[in-house]
Amino acid sequence: MISEVLLSTVRMATPLIFLALAELYSQRAGLVHIGLEGLAAIGSLVGFLVSLITGSPMLGVVAGAAAGILTNMIFAYATITLCAEQIVYGMAINIFAPALAAFIYRVYFGAGSELVQVGLMSTLSQSLGIQSDNFIVQLFLDQTPMVYLAYILVIVTVIYFNRTKSGLNYKAVGEYPKAAATLGINVIGVKYVASILCGALAGMGGAYLTTCYANTYVDGNVAGRGFIALAAVIFGRWTGGGVLLACLFFGFCDALQIRLQVGSFGIPYQFFQMIPYVATIVVLALLGMKKAGPKGVGKAYLPEER
Amino acid sequence: MKKLLALLLALTMVLSLGACGNKTTTTEGDANTGDTSTGDTGDTGTGSEGGAESTGLKVAMICDSSISDGGWGMSCYNAMVAAAESNGWETAYSDSIAQSAYYDTIVSYCDLGYDLIYAPGNQYTDAVLQAAEEYPDIAFALLNGGTDTPEKATNGNVTSLLPDAQQVGWIAGALAGLMTESGTVAFIGGMELDTTLGKYEGFAEAAAYVGEQAGKTVSALDIVYSGDFSATDKGIEFAKAMINQGADVFFGDASAVDSGARQAIDEANAASGSVKIYDIAQPSDLLGQNECIIGSQVTDNTALVSLCMDAVANGTFGGEVIYGTLQNGVLSAGALSDLVPADVQDQYNAYLQEMQDGTFMQ
Repeated sequence: MISEVLLSTVRMATPLIFLALAELYSQRAGLVHIGLEGLAAIGSLVGFLVSLITGSPMLGVVAGAAAGILTNMIFAYATITLCAEQIVYGMAINIFAPALAAFIYRVYFGAGSELVQVGLMSTLSQSLGIQSDNFIVQLFLDQTPMVYLAYILVIVTVIYFNRTKSGLNYKAVGEYPKAAATLGINVIGVKYVASILCGALAGMGGAYLTTCYANTYVDGNVAGRGFIALAAVIFGRWTGGGVLLACLFFGFCDALQIRLQVGSFGIPYQFFQMIPYVATIVVLALLGMKKAGPKGVGKAYLPEER
Repeated sequence: MKKLLALLLALTMVLSLGACGNKTTTTEGDANTGDTSTGDTGDTGTGSEGGAESTGLKVAMICDSSISDGGWGMSCYNAMVAAAESNGWETAYSDSIAQSAYYDTIVSYCDLGYDLIYAPGNQYTDAVLQAAEEYPDIAFALLNGGTDTPEKATNGNVTSLLPDAQQVGWIAGALAGLMTESGTVAFIGGMELDTTLGKYEGFAEAAAYVGEQAGKTVSALDIVYSGDFSATDKGIEFAKAMINQGADVFFGDASAVDSGARQAIDEANAASGSVKIYDIAQPSDLLGQNECIIGSQVTDNTALVSLCMDAVANGTFGGEVIYGTLQNGVLSAGALSDLVPADVQDQYNAYLQEMQDGTFMQ
């Protein structure tokens, strides 16, 4: 049973990792982004459509990332250039983008249409022609390239933020942008780069859902993952490693409750459904609530302001 | 200046949403739609039907799943459109709406002067009853409503359309009992609704009975709930876990979640090189949608909605329960796949006849 739960954990944690990294890059540049749900929704639809039209899930992921970037430029322009309230525009993206995705789907396929299904991205074991019931083989080889990419991105993120000058400059923008500016760092530029990275990663996280996980697109398929990712960044103390552990933890809890519902032997299913929430409360209580986020997060940067 | 630009940007986003909506098209003989997208209230669309002479009457459907989910939402929407076409009604819908928006969406249609509100699910009961009290002149049709729901409506303007949940379960369960080789069958639910439980119980008892008649022990795994009709991923994960528990025939009542389950079943069959794990679809004939589908339980929702439209047009609507059974033709079994051997098809048809005759499991 534990092997099934672990395999399920990997599947369920992967989109969370993309979304949480998106939030991490955004917040490290001082931009709190609660609109991940919307970015993932548009990425999910565009990824699905491009995958369907071209027959290439990989192109779908690229298109999903591009859609995420384009949508996030609205947020970036409003919050960086116009210094608008980040929470308000994040919420606007959450309302606007899923509605736009649903509209495009309905226009493209029509109302009450038959279920449209696409081919999913091949796993490494499928590409290599390896078929095995062995748990280790399934865990490490029976995954799509997107899963490996997610973990590689975590490693790259950890190195970037802790071992490179550019990464430290990036973090400085999120901590105290005015001080960063006095050192010659292009604060506005870094914030725009952060928005591009955030949009791309969130779009990829959404596209993962329809190119690697489920072969259909359904309105609402992001299902709150954007908000879970937001929590995962706080949970993971704004670090790459911490975010990874938080995503795996959330994925594990959800996988566990699903597995326990099957064959529950009469135990009310609500008991299992509350596992992720109870676990979150317990872990938060154990870890404490020490604030560790970037100090400049959520604040508008006005270069002319004294 | 920057504040003005921010305001303009926000206005552009809002107006772009508005521009998507209230687009009514009137091409004849087709289910025409436009979309208004409003975040948590999902999508809305309107259409004017061209099958019969227009009566000027309007019906609106609300749905918490998508009308393109390849299952429940799609079937219920298509039923409304078909009934509207034959009765000369105009249609509108709002799908993918959140639970918190059930009431507000219904009231919006009431305010727009719709004559009939069609709510396809037991979960809308409270919202429908509240709105029915406030809009006594509007008719409310609650698919899978409770037997006591109409009498709870003080204005007598609510009708329950009630396909017999036990018979729905029997139709799927009998086929599952005949086709299972492992002796384990599975059911995935969306929410814990009375009708979902009724279907599960009918499914489990019919599978066990039919299995026993064939000399094998058949049992159903405990019912599981996704908690969300759009969670395709939960369907995948549930199905994978249930397959590992030995389940080889699936039935469900969870909209897009069922589509996820079918994907997982197809993948498991592909991995084993042959189709040995099956799914039974509902509530329309979905044979051919997925390789694993061996049959469907079909509910003629079009007939039920048409009855409501007739009653509204004749001024006789309200306060009743319209049952859908095998006996009155609302419930039936869809076409069977070639994966079901001819002798099993004969046995299944015999069981269906027993259900119609009222002698099944007697």
